[in-house]
Amino acid sequence: MNFFERLTKIDRRVIYLILTIFVIMPFFLKFRIPQNIMPQTQRLFDFIEALNPDDNKAVLISFDYTPQTMPECHPMAMSILTHCLKKKIPVICVSFDPQAPGLAIEALDNVVKSLNEGAKTREDSVIYGRDYVYLGWKSGRIAALLEMGEKISSVFPRDYHNNYTDSLPLMQKIKNYRDISIGIILAAADYPQEWLMYAQARYGLKLGAGLTAVMAPKYYPFLQTGQLSGMIPGMKGAAEYENLLLKYGYTKDTGRAETGMNSQTLIHLLIIVLIIMGNIGYFATKKVSRFKKRSKDL
Amino acid sequence: MSPDPWIWIGAFLTLMIFSFLYKDNPFYKFAEHLFVGVANGYYIVFYWHQALKPNLYEPLKAGEFIYLIPLLLGLLYFTRFIPKFGWLVRIPLGFMIGWGAGVSIPANIQAFIFRQIEGTVLTPNVFVNFWEGIWALVILFGVLCTVIYFFFSTEQRGLLKFSTRLGIIFIMLGFGASFGYTVMARVSLLIGRIQFLLGPWLGLIK
Repeated sequence: MNFFERLTKIDRRVIYLILTIFVIMPFFLKFRIPQNIMPQTQRLFDFIEALNPDDNKAVLISFDYTPQTMPECHPMAMSILTHCLKKKIPVICVSFDPQAPGLAIEALDNVVKSLNEGAKTREDSVIYGRDYVYLGWKSGRIAALLEMGEKISSVFPRDYHNNYTDSLPLMQKIKNYRDISIGIILAAADYPQEWLMYAQARYGLKLGAGLTAVMAPKYYPFLQTGQLSGMIPGMKGAAEYENLLLKYGYTKDTGRAETGMNSQTLIHLLIIVLIIMGNIGYFATKKVSRFKKRSKDL
Repeated sequence: MSPDPWIWIGAFLTLMIFSFLYKDNPFYKFAEHLFVGVANGYYIVFYWHQALKPNLYEPLKAGEFIYLIPLLLGLLYFTRFIPKFGWLVRIPLGFMIGWGAGVSIPANIQAFIFRQIEGTVLTPNVFVNFWEGIWALVILFGVLCTVIYFFFSTEQRGLLKFSTRLGIIFIMLGFGASFGYTVMARVSLLIGRIQFLLGPWLGLIK
């Protein structure tokens, strides 16, 4: 087997091993590959940044991702929650994916805990029911999305913690989509499509999305038409949002997505090199075999 | 290293699943079967506590007998298992298809057809900014060429052939973008697991 044939027949286990080394390396070498901010992430950040807490409108976050997509969507959730709650913009959270409630609670608990560590007064603190609520999961999401345009508490009569929704101070101000400044869907499946169809087309709710990278290309047309006010695509988008929070002074450090992006960039470079090597090997062996065949014919 | 036994279980199950990358083995099979079982158990308990109990069992218990109608409609799905009464499944299916079509067709047309056509049509506002104008032309051109590519009623010759060739380039660009994003997504999942193993389990990173 010559060199070019070897290039086309690298054992997949060797590739996995190199890949794993490339993922682990950046965590210990402490270097940083600079990331640019893509316009879609900047648009969502700017939208939230422009919100005024005195408008008495809330941001609605729909947690619709699953544990396996946590590395992509969880940092987005943490960043958006931090951004809104630090700006004193109330947040209402819901879920339509059965695997999401545990993740939503974890994200809320972590963000609220870290924000309350620095709070000195009750006014500074982030308080459940006043600043944020989690209404839990609901089945039959199409009917729920339509009904929420009329009255949110009729879809979620009780919140996740079994409190009567109408008894929560925040929910006494927020009745339906008219009181929501933007709905942000953090999804690992096609949930944003239904929000676009039912919450936006019918009730005119402004929407943003935090999506897994696999889903992102499908939603670019909705950015172009303005149906989505912004989008955070995959771990890259999450890292960009973390950087924006750091730049604008909302956080003192970036989070997990930014740390992961160094590995991500190295892996992409590795994959490009492997594709080039594979192609060189393929064309070179093809040329050699064609030459051998021709000389045999002669 | 973490003192939490659940972190250890998570770490070992992760390694068992990764062992498949070397070759299929009993550890991988064990983790896979365990996952299927746990996932099923989770869904059964979750749907009982979050859907059936609050939306059906409790209202019925409180004497709201109107809920017998959706219960009956739901139960009719199971008549598929009794050949003699199998035709009864058409009642809930008809109900769902009628409701689903009625609700989704207008919303679909409005959100995905009208708005997308609006986004493709050129208006004078688009040309206020030079580059926006150029990209709007590219989008219009791309949409037309891609649609022509799927026009199979006439033999593709002359201008039609040229347009379909351009159409396939736009389609390939779309596939390329999707592939790039898919690679990023899959690598992100690997990074997430490695972060878990190095962080919460081994305590080597923050």
